[in-house]
Amino acid sequence: MIQIPLAVYLLFLAPLTALAFGFFILRPWKPEWTHIPILISCVVVTISTAFLAAFVYSGHGLDGTLFRWMMAGDWSIVFGVRVDGIGVAVLSMVSLVGALIHFYAAGYMKGDPGFSRFFLFFHLFYLAMIGLLVSNNYVQFYLFWELVGACSYFLIAHWLHKPTARRAALQAFMTNRVGDFGLMLAVLLILARYHNTRFAMLYTIAPGMAPELLALSGFLFFWAAAAKSAQFPLYFWLPDAMEGPTPVSALMHAATMVTAGIFLLVRSWPLIGSVPGLPNFIAAVGAATAIGAALLACTQKDLKRILAYSTVSHLGLMAFALGLGQVAAALFHLVVHGFFKAALFLCAGNVAHGSGKPTVSVDEAGGLKRSLPLTYACFAIAAMSLAGVWPLAGFYSKDAILDAACERGPWAMAAGLAIAMGGALYISRMLFLTFFGPRAEQKPGEHVHEAPLIMILPVALIVVGAFSVGWLGRHFTHLLLSGWPETVPLPVLPELSAKVSGMGLAAMGCGVAISYVLTMRLPSFDWDWRRRHPGLEAAFACDLGWRKVVAWFAAVVVRGADRIGRVFDHEVLDAAIEKSADACQKLSQTGSSLATGSLSDSLWWLMTGAAALLAWAGLR
Amino acid sequence: MNPLVWSASATLFLFGLAALILRRELLAMFLGLELMVLAAVLALGETAARLGDSEGFVAVLLILAIAAAEAVVGLTLILRVHWSGRPPETEALRELKG
Repeated sequence: MIQIPLAVYLLFLAPLTALAFGFFILRPWKPEWTHIPILISCVVVTISTAFLAAFVYSGHGLDGTLFRWMMAGDWSIVFGVRVDGIGVAVLSMVSLVGALIHFYAAGYMKGDPGFSRFFLFFHLFYLAMIGLLVSNNYVQFYLFWELVGACSYFLIAHWLHKPTARRAALQAFMTNRVGDFGLMLAVLLILARYHNTRFAMLYTIAPGMAPELLALSGFLFFWAAAAKSAQFPLYFWLPDAMEGPTPVSALMHAATMVTAGIFLLVRSWPLIGSVPGLPNFIAAVGAATAIGAALLACTQKDLKRILAYSTVSHLGLMAFALGLGQVAAALFHLVVHGFFKAALFLCAGNVAHGSGKPTVSVDEAGGLKRSLPLTYACFAIAAMSLAGVWPLAGFYSKDAILDAACERGPWAMAAGLAIAMGGALYISRMLFLTFFGPRAEQKPGEHVHEAPLIMILPVALIVVGAFSVGWLGRHFTHLLLSGWPETVPLPVLPELSAKVSGMGLAAMGCGVAISYVLTMRLPSFDWDWRRRHPGLEAAFACDLGWRKVVAWFAAVVVRGADRIGRVFDHEVLDAAIEKSADACQKLSQTGSSLATGSLSDSLWWLMTGAAALLAWAGLR
Repeated sequence: MNPLVWSASATLFLFGLAALILRRELLAMFLGLELMVLAAVLALGETAARLGDSEGFVAVLLILAIAAAEAVVGLTLILRVHWSGRPPETEALRELKG
């Protein structure tokens, strides 16, 4: 029996207690206090995670059973915990950034009619992601994976009165269901073959597994991750999910939702890394997603939509790094991205809060540097981190990925540089358009006010992370190696090389220069091209036609399913019911004609029965 | 085994059965029924006498007593049918028709 540290129990018990207390006591009694136990739980979880990180960093590991979850025949599924390097690396970021976003949300959502509901779902979301990160088998992983999806649905649709929010939530949920189906199939495949889905067991037998099973489940894992982590065919739900409140967007994009897909790939990498061709496929899909989303991010107007496409782009970059086999670089970028993207979203939330609107477009913003100085400073640092300015965190993680791309070949390097340039381009465009200016067409935002302290301090703390996490690369590698199966090589983060860093910085400089020219030197460019080429704007608005394809596909599927359902309903179900009812009626009519009520008829039947019985007894 | 008693018993039973099935009047059917019971009692008494089994005679006496009680119940029912104004025939009793 393994000794399980208290911190592991606290990861579950603290949020569950806070949720129970909030739901049963505070929600009916003082709904505006619901956040208090939840914020305490966030602190407890963060401290526990820090302890676990130290525990794993010092070379310990944990893979134990908490209780037996379900049993069937000779096999059972346990509810366990696996505290290893990759889990704790992401868990540290998720718990810290998630906790800070909770504090931010306490300020942002103050006075909202659904405050209590919001906080309960928000914390459940957080709990689901933590549970997912410390799961030790795929069935448990799947449970939390679904819980993450369900919570995101409720949170995106938080403002139920907005039809767009309801539609976006439904779209996000349905798209995720498409991906979840892939994960379910993969888990069932493994379960059917091995009667067990524990990662520890699968890691040890992975080299000897049947190649078809590995290839199929690997592809299904990627399919699931593509929906959850917004990769190319299924990415479209993420930008629309901006309809939710800003803290939800921040939590979803940085910590709890989209990282789950990348984490699934990392978790399953010992299984899928050896499938021939699959890593290259993942890298290609990731690169295409990253470049396409970066291009689209440059054309968006809404602040949160720009950031959403930026997330898609960065998730593509992570998948690209994974496809190149750089598990450590991908995870490092995931962690760094969590910090700067959370900060950027919260800054966008501050801008919206300061303007008194749910969301702000770059057309309305401009010159906010003076009225929102603290938010501006936070945004600028996080944006520089995203763009990859040395020595901020984004530089180190992007550099590690570029290094891997450089080793792979010119095409990969070109893709990596294009992504780096695109990232610098859209984020500096957003920075210039929002905080510099104002341009001639705009009214300066005189009545925009800075956010209260509770909405600045968490952002500032996250920005500290976005600034400095990059320096922890060496320790990060050390952390990851704990608990990683020895049969699978784990490429560590590469050392900085002058050539690659120089190329990365040059690409970043190019992007910033282009956006500087287009927004500051030609201040009306961003407006003019829209006015002059409405067709082009429409094309970008539907993601170069992909949204139309999806809508058409969805319509065909829905109509087809409707037709099939209708035919099945009429021709099979209704027909079966009517036929059986007719048969019953006929049978009863025949039967009732036998019951004449006549005593002599009854006697005849009695005699016949007695004679038959006697004959049967005699023959026997 | 006494073939005379057996054949008498079987004949009485078949007569009773014929009366029960073929006649339509309730009273005649009832008589047939009683005849069947007594035919069976005759066979039982003969067997008891042959085996010298006193319990058999007790059973015979018990059945005779029950047959008397049954006659009371049956005749009462027939009387009730008669009083209800219907002819004392089975065709009149059709409440159980499906």
